[in-house]
Amino acid sequence: MSTKDAVAVGSPIPDSADYSAASIKVLGGMEAVRKRPAMYIGSTGEMGLHHLVYEVVDNSVDEALAGFADRVDVTIHTDNSITVVDNGRGIPVGEMEVDGEKRGAAEIVMTKLHAGGKFDSSSYKVSGGLHGVGVSCVNALSEALELEIWRDGYTWQQSFACGEILGPIQRAGKTQKRGTKITFKPDATIFTITEYNFDTLANRLRELSFLNRGLLITLTDERTDKAAEFRYTGGIAEFVRHLNRGKQVLHDKPIVMEGARDIAGGVLQMEVALQYNDSYTETLFSFANNINTVDGGSHLSGFRSALTRTINVIGQSLNLFKDVKENLTGDDVREGLVAVISVKLPQPQFEGQTKGKLNSDIKGQVEALINEKLGEYLEHNPPVAKRIIAKAIEASRAREAARKARDLTRRKGALDSGGLPGKLADCSERDPQRCEIFIVEGESAGGTAKQGRDRRYQAILPLKGKILNVEKARYDKMLGHEEIRALITALGTGIGPAATDLDYTKLRYAKVILMTDADVDGSHIRTLLLTFFFRHMKMLIDKGNVFIAQPPLYRIKKGRSEQYIKDDKEFVSVMMRRITEDRALRYGEGGAELKGAALSKFLVQLSDFHTHFDKADRKLRHPALTQLVLEAGLDKKADFETPDKLRALAPKVAALAGIAKAQAVLDEEHNLWELRYKDANQLERVVNAELALLPEFKQALRGLRQIAEHYHPPFLLTDGDAAPVEAADGRRLLEFILDEGKRLFSVQRYKGLGEMRADQLWETTMDPTTRTLLKVRLEDLPACEEIFSTLMGEEVAPRREFIEQNALDVKNLDI
Amino acid sequence: MSEKQRRCPICGRAVESGAPEFPFCSPRCRTRDLANWASGIYRVPVKPDQDEDDGS
Repeated sequence: MSTKDAVAVGSPIPDSADYSAASIKVLGGMEAVRKRPAMYIGSTGEMGLHHLVYEVVDNSVDEALAGFADRVDVTIHTDNSITVVDNGRGIPVGEMEVDGEKRGAAEIVMTKLHAGGKFDSSSYKVSGGLHGVGVSCVNALSEALELEIWRDGYTWQQSFACGEILGPIQRAGKTQKRGTKITFKPDATIFTITEYNFDTLANRLRELSFLNRGLLITLTDERTDKAAEFRYTGGIAEFVRHLNRGKQVLHDKPIVMEGARDIAGGVLQMEVALQYNDSYTETLFSFANNINTVDGGSHLSGFRSALTRTINVIGQSLNLFKDVKENLTGDDVREGLVAVISVKLPQPQFEGQTKGKLNSDIKGQVEALINEKLGEYLEHNPPVAKRIIAKAIEASRAREAARKARDLTRRKGALDSGGLPGKLADCSERDPQRCEIFIVEGESAGGTAKQGRDRRYQAILPLKGKILNVEKARYDKMLGHEEIRALITALGTGIGPAATDLDYTKLRYAKVILMTDADVDGSHIRTLLLTFFFRHMKMLIDKGNVFIAQPPLYRIKKGRSEQYIKDDKEFVSVMMRRITEDRALRYGEGGAELKGAALSKFLVQLSDFHTHFDKADRKLRHPALTQLVLEAGLDKKADFETPDKLRALAPKVAALAGIAKAQAVLDEEHNLWELRYKDANQLERVVNAELALLPEFKQALRGLRQIAEHYHPPFLLTDGDAAPVEAADGRRLLEFILDEGKRLFSVQRYKGLGEMRADQLWETTMDPTTRTLLKVRLEDLPACEEIFSTLMGEEVAPRREFIEQNALDVKNLDI
Repeated sequence: MSEKQRRCPICGRAVESGAPEFPFCSPRCRTRDLANWASGIYRVPVKPDQDEDDGS
């Protein structure tokens, strides 16, 4: 809109002879402002109140821009009135003719909308004071305004109230000073808030001082004696630094680009400063003639398109886009960007009520400047260019990731008419409270589960893992995009944090049951699924909706009786119990005897001990040594603080085959004693507190103590009238019993759910009256994440070892 | 087990268990993780051949 349109819209051309009519017209402008203040200054709240100050300060800054002033002092008085002083030329005090009438120039400036020198580009080449409608607005909205002008050796004064002139301008005295001083008190009948905020003013004044290099602006608050002084010789480069304070920047110095171009009506000055930080946000400030163009405009769009173009061009020329599919987008190159764009031009054209957008056609000029100067800078500073471009590439990848992630929850593809995945075998019940879903991995398992379920309330979602041959003897399994999507869609809640994205009320099944094979592979798939739940559907775990089914690993059968067993541990305990039913064990010299439950308990403990022993022995790789260490009973740090126990142990160790030079030595680093010895390869090895206090040693030691009472080989196992069987040690005893078990019972080990008959799966795992489900709890998360991260681990060797050692333990976790 | 502070699975930054994006530190890391799922980055090892499995 043209700036002239606003002058007394609809007023008739006044008759020069009619003094009072002309007077009414001028005052009429003031009344319009008072009637609808928000139209002129945005609001009558805090924003509008502060705007009054900006309006007056802008006039002073314009004097500075024109080269006539270098300081502006702003004071907040105790009654929340404001004084603004500058050392510019002073508002003209002579008389001028307006609408055929002679009036004081200052008076016109103060009482007429859009009056003053701003509309004549010869007195101000550029001017920012075009925000609202000039200082006359401030006057109209102030219950009192005092104007003092120092000009041509004299002091001049004039007073106003609510925009009305209280008397003609007076020459008050002589002075050497130059400048203008305006004191005003906002009208409390107009403003809903009349209390000035120091920080709000300070921020805008700081901004102005950044934008006007070298200009000193002071702010004094007489209410609190707070004061601030702003002067930045670095201009907008310092502004950028200021915006980046406390941030990690990608390059030390802001990149500064300056230039001027002739345009219609005068000269366009452009100044741009930018600096990247390591954050993900963009901070862009654009100004036209010091006005903060919050909605951007031609200068900003010119900057943006040139930035995108230049970074892409430089990236290509430095060959940095090898694995980037497409060009970087504007969003990519603006991540972590802090930039200030300031243009100054004659007769700026703004759009919108708050003048937040620059409309002047200068996009091309800004674009050309950035293309040239930024390109030049980046070509000469390749390290900076590389860092900026690497950051943009990273941003581009993140955006790609976000696209993929969104795609997971978008409804499309293999869904049936109800929007559910095609492979879901849903149940007929509609009340989610009574519904269950079994998530099954593998097609044959899915088939068995579908046949075995109660279709009234049990749904089956078979997921198909994809096998990848990673290297020669290594295979990995993963759940593809479609599988994850099917899972999300079937459950209905969506994914993400419950506070924002996941809608718990949409959960379609009260029980979400993970049913994977009872073997190691099954436990890995379960870990994979659980990790997904923990990370993206945590609410379901919080609310206790996620369960783990426990399909059997073994079936043992003797005659007509059959029994299902869920893991190796239970298998051993069941076998022991069944086999020892009518047997007795004799041991030791006194002929002590164990039978029935006591015998079975002893054998289970014996078996547990061997399991732990074997794990402990993985550390020493010398069973006899492991045995000795355990027998020494080293189970606390104190055992290593004195050498006694180790000294007692040393000769026994030294006597072992393949071991030499065992002795107790003080480890000075920890101030603890340790046992050093040389193994069969003459390598020095050590038994120390760190080793003895490992969980595997502690567990083995606990096991050893449990069996100690009855562990006195050789053992003699009697079976009614049959000849007794002798076993030289515990291991042979266990071997014999398990062999016996296999002879007497038919044992089936299920390699997968798919190997079971549907009725067996129903009976053992799915039937609510007979099955056991484990509820997944939030406390299981750390263990799950730990296993998951190890399974994911980049390094193959430790991963292998971990899998070997802990595969079965996965089952023993409380999940 | 004591309530230990967890680390964001993507960037490793410490995350309080009450954080809005838990177990992630930020929506951005959550999105990254989701993209990993979508692209089949997460894999678990399996036995190559089930037939030779003799159970030991």
